[in-house]
Amino acid sequence: MARGCFVAVVAVQVGFALNGYREPHKFFAFQPFNESSTWSAEIVRVTWDGERVAIDESWGGGAYEWNTLVDVAALRDPGQLRHAYMGVGATVDFLDDALDWVATHTPADHETRYLEANVTFYENTRGPEHTVLRSVDREPA
Amino acid sequence: MTGIFDRTGSVRALAVLRMTLGVLTVVHLAPFLRDARAGIHYDDRFWEPYWSGLPKVPGSLWALLLGVGAASAVLMACGVLTRLTTSVTFVVVAGNLLVSQTHFRHNRTFLTILLFGLVLVPTGRVLSVDAWWRRVRGRPALSDEVLLWPLYLLRTQVSLVYLASGISKLVDPDWLGGIVLWDRVVRYRHHLDPTPLPPWGVDVLTWRPLYLVVAPAAIATELFVGLGLWSSRTRLAALWVAVVFHLSIEVSASVEVFSLGAIAALAIWVTPSSRDRVLRLRAGSPAAVLVRALDWFGRFRIEEVRAGAGDRTPVVVDRDGSVLAGRDALGLVLTRLPLTFAFAVPVVAVGALGRRDATGGSPTSDTAAARTP
Repeated sequence: MARGCFVAVVAVQVGFALNGYREPHKFFAFQPFNESSTWSAEIVRVTWDGERVAIDESWGGGAYEWNTLVDVAALRDPGQLRHAYMGVGATVDFLDDALDWVATHTPADHETRYLEANVTFYENTRGPEHTVLRSVDREPA
Repeated sequence: MTGIFDRTGSVRALAVLRMTLGVLTVVHLAPFLRDARAGIHYDDRFWEPYWSGLPKVPGSLWALLLGVGAASAVLMACGVLTRLTTSVTFVVVAGNLLVSQTHFRHNRTFLTILLFGLVLVPTGRVLSVDAWWRRVRGRPALSDEVLLWPLYLLRTQVSLVYLASGISKLVDPDWLGGIVLWDRVVRYRHHLDPTPLPPWGVDVLTWRPLYLVVAPAAIATELFVGLGLWSSRTRLAALWVAVVFHLSIEVSASVEVFSLGAIAALAIWVTPSSRDRVLRLRAGSPAAVLVRALDWFGRFRIEEVRAGAGDRTPVVVDRDGSVLAGRDALGLVLTRLPLTFAFAVPVVAVGALGRRDATGGSPTSDTAAARTP
């Protein structure tokens, strides 16, 4: 029992450590402070009539604000160049998930079809590089 | 490997760790509890499960469990129903970590690992309300000798943490070449400017070539701590380096309770035997009271003696029977007390080196102070 527990725990720990070399979040891999990258994103709501509205202002009749909906320090104030303290890969991955979450958790918003983020990032001072993220399509009101 | 599963030793250092982690767990849970009390649950804002097939924990249950976890952590620190409260604390901290990817932090994982280790050990046998209550009821005290394999598991995990971090930086050319560390400092220069550092000091700290040396040194530090803790010859130095390393992280980065947790976790490297060194002090000496108060790991059995004229005190009879007196004994004592450790180690080391030079390299009694903690 003790031997099994010991070996299993150490094996899992080593497995996570190795997994951190391929997985952007480096979950449980103990690779802290692994980058000094920066990022910013221009995030817009694309409405059903094709208008692109920046998320700088609240929407849904004032019910929604990006920083309140996405209360993760790494993703706040995306319009400013931010330090990607958890690594740019993890930040972009979280941002992609956050767009989907916002698209599916804003029932008072009857205008938006999807959200889109134009992301600019510098990986360890190199760049800029760009990528475009798009949320799932929302159901028509 | 069979040996480590049969070996027994004192649980006292882990009991000290348990008390510290109880407090740190409350501090760790406090921001989540504040949100919960304000009616904000983790699922009210962006969150992401680790696996979409996992059942979702209702926000209200999460909030309730946080309260249970914090209360349990307080009881764990006090040693009330220690095994149970340690387990509950671990489950709540682990659950909060695993409930959403957005809750992941390396420092929170580290705290969870430490709590897991404590679940495996009956730390309530000493320094606990449980032990006190047992005495009050007239029951014989339980031995503080327990199976040590969970301690070795904790040591392995903690060592892996340092090594995983150090190796990942070692194989990253950006890290090894100093870009990552230098850019982080430059990026947070605005934090340096209001400090008492003179402008030239800030310029030096943000000077790119400096990090061609500092970055490899930082990596070497992590690797040294991860490996050096295992050898009795290097352990004291590795412990001291680890303390300085964690304090420097605390000053330079936001890592929640990690720094204090990691320093507290150094307790697992204390030799798991208690009162196996004798410290002889003059009867009535206030030093006896002081050492008793500061000797959290139970390093010393104190004997108060009536000193005759010319007797030197303090005297320490070490584990191997060797006798240290005066300055040597004082050095050994101060390097084994947690609160004086960080200050005493460099002083004793410099003193020992100085005396070694003076004696032409032959061993001195002071060298005993560099033995296992």
